[in-house]
Amino acid sequence: MKELQDLARFLEQGESQKVLALTQQLVDSGVPPQTILNDGLIAGMAVVGEKMRNGEMYLPEVLQSAGAMKASLRILQPLLAREGAQSRGKILIGTVKGDMHDIGKNLVGIMLQGAGFEIVDIGLNVEPQKFVAAIAEHTPAIVGLSAMLTTTMLNMKTTIDAVAAAGLRSNVKILIGGAPASQKFADEIGADGYSRDAVLAVDKVKQLLGHTS
Amino acid sequence: MNRRFEQALNCEPPDRIPFVPAIYEHKAWFVGETPSKVCRDSKLFTAALLAEYERVQPDALTVGIDVYNVEPEAIGCKVIYYEGKDTSVPAIAPESVVFQGSEEVASLKMPDPHKDGRMPLNLEVAGNITKLLGKEVPIRGALSGPFSLAAHLTGLENLFKLMFIQPDLVRELLGFACEVIRQYGQAFIELGCGVVIFDSQASSDLISPLLYREFVLPRTRALIEHFQKLGLKDVPLIIGGNTTKMLDEYLETGANNLLCDVKADSQEFLQKCSPARRAFRRNMDSTDFLTISSEDVHRRTVKCLEESNGYPGFILGTVILPYGTPLAPLGAIRSAIQEYKRS
Repeated sequence: MKELQDLARFLEQGESQKVLALTQQLVDSGVPPQTILNDGLIAGMAVVGEKMRNGEMYLPEVLQSAGAMKASLRILQPLLAREGAQSRGKILIGTVKGDMHDIGKNLVGIMLQGAGFEIVDIGLNVEPQKFVAAIAEHTPAIVGLSAMLTTTMLNMKTTIDAVAAAGLRSNVKILIGGAPASQKFADEIGADGYSRDAVLAVDKVKQLLGHTS
Repeated sequence: MNRRFEQALNCEPPDRIPFVPAIYEHKAWFVGETPSKVCRDSKLFTAALLAEYERVQPDALTVGIDVYNVEPEAIGCKVIYYEGKDTSVPAIAPESVVFQGSEEVASLKMPDPHKDGRMPLNLEVAGNITKLLGKEVPIRGALSGPFSLAAHLTGLENLFKLMFIQPDLVRELLGFACEVIRQYGQAFIELGCGVVIFDSQASSDLISPLLYREFVLPRTRALIEHFQKLGLKDVPLIIGGNTTKMLDEYLETGANNLLCDVKADSQEFLQKCSPARRAFRRNMDSTDFLTISSEDVHRRTVKCLEESNGYPGFILGTVILPYGTPLAPLGAIRSAIQEYKRS
């Protein structure tokens, strides 16, 4: 459908106003919200993710696209809820202690929300014990830890250790991300997974939860 | 300036490869205090630098613990300090941005390096250390780069947004940032020490080389030129992350001393820095120094030194050493450097 392709293209270009208008137009013309989400927004963000990985797009441009997606989701989410679309799972995200960076975490939140997951964002500079308390309160399937600095990334391990010490480690899968992180580091600190960007984080979450699509 | 470091900067073969580990918050560990305490106490800060020099023997010293915070704090941003034994690094409170984008840049307070925030404290420490060690080792006052300072004043995400919707305002904000840095840098130079500019928010891990060229490069080039005209032979520009993609722009800043971080391509740096006669500091990965053996550190160092391919402008560094990093791995690096010299 041409309009859905246009929606994906506008999203890729970060054209928030056009994305909003076209989302509304598609809703008004009776296109199912799930179709708009999958074939427009998620398809568009997949291209954004690929371009980011290829060095064709950078964070400022990606944020423009993510902002457009967020705006569009504000129209779609109430409709999806009304249609009885079920959450695909609850994800708790936060930036670890000592780290004030949240752009990456926020992007992951938007992407996962778009993919149908429920997001509990507990913010930045989060103490390990606050993660523990939030896990106990919200019982998420996955916890996403973010860090932007080589020094604060060590607090990912402290957090994982605190979750284990609280007896909650087997209740959740832990995914890490952020500029200095790597799969090697994830393995070393006992995380269940690593994602190098927000788009891949969706695939990683699905993989960890055993979702097929 | 020490001879070895000067030779490397001039791309002449030094007696051995200089070693400049990234020690900022870790300085506090040398005096058994927290970064939050040491960065607000000139006596402790001075003692920490002396201890760092004595125990690590780096080929250059940087006066800076929580680099990036000092200028924004002097302009009006709030810094979160940690109390008690908490060794977290002080950071700018994200909610304390002082520029939203709707106001005039001229409304921002131009700080006085001798009066505002911790600028006077850092200058006092730089003066102390320059008097004590200035003849033995280069002393550099840490400065924020223009893009990183602007990012702290308005928030990184907002800065990204403003680059698209109000590019002229961003240029004006960067101009303000440069003036702050110029005045603060000049105050360090008047004390007889050098400067080192940190601008990792402008890395090509975050923004495109195109945006860097459009917004950041002209301001940075002018700033570096200004410091060079004041007589500084060494004006390092530290941009972390994988900067391989922006290496042409990096060189065009005029900085004589660049950073080739862990994820950057050292061979590409060699190819481009050699004809331009620029020195660069190659960072080795030190994030696991708390857990790996000295033998592993030694092996990793040798591997990293081999990347230099004999280039005389090669300086060895580390990523930022976490608070509490033991001395043993740093000793292992030094011995690997000594052996490499002999082989």
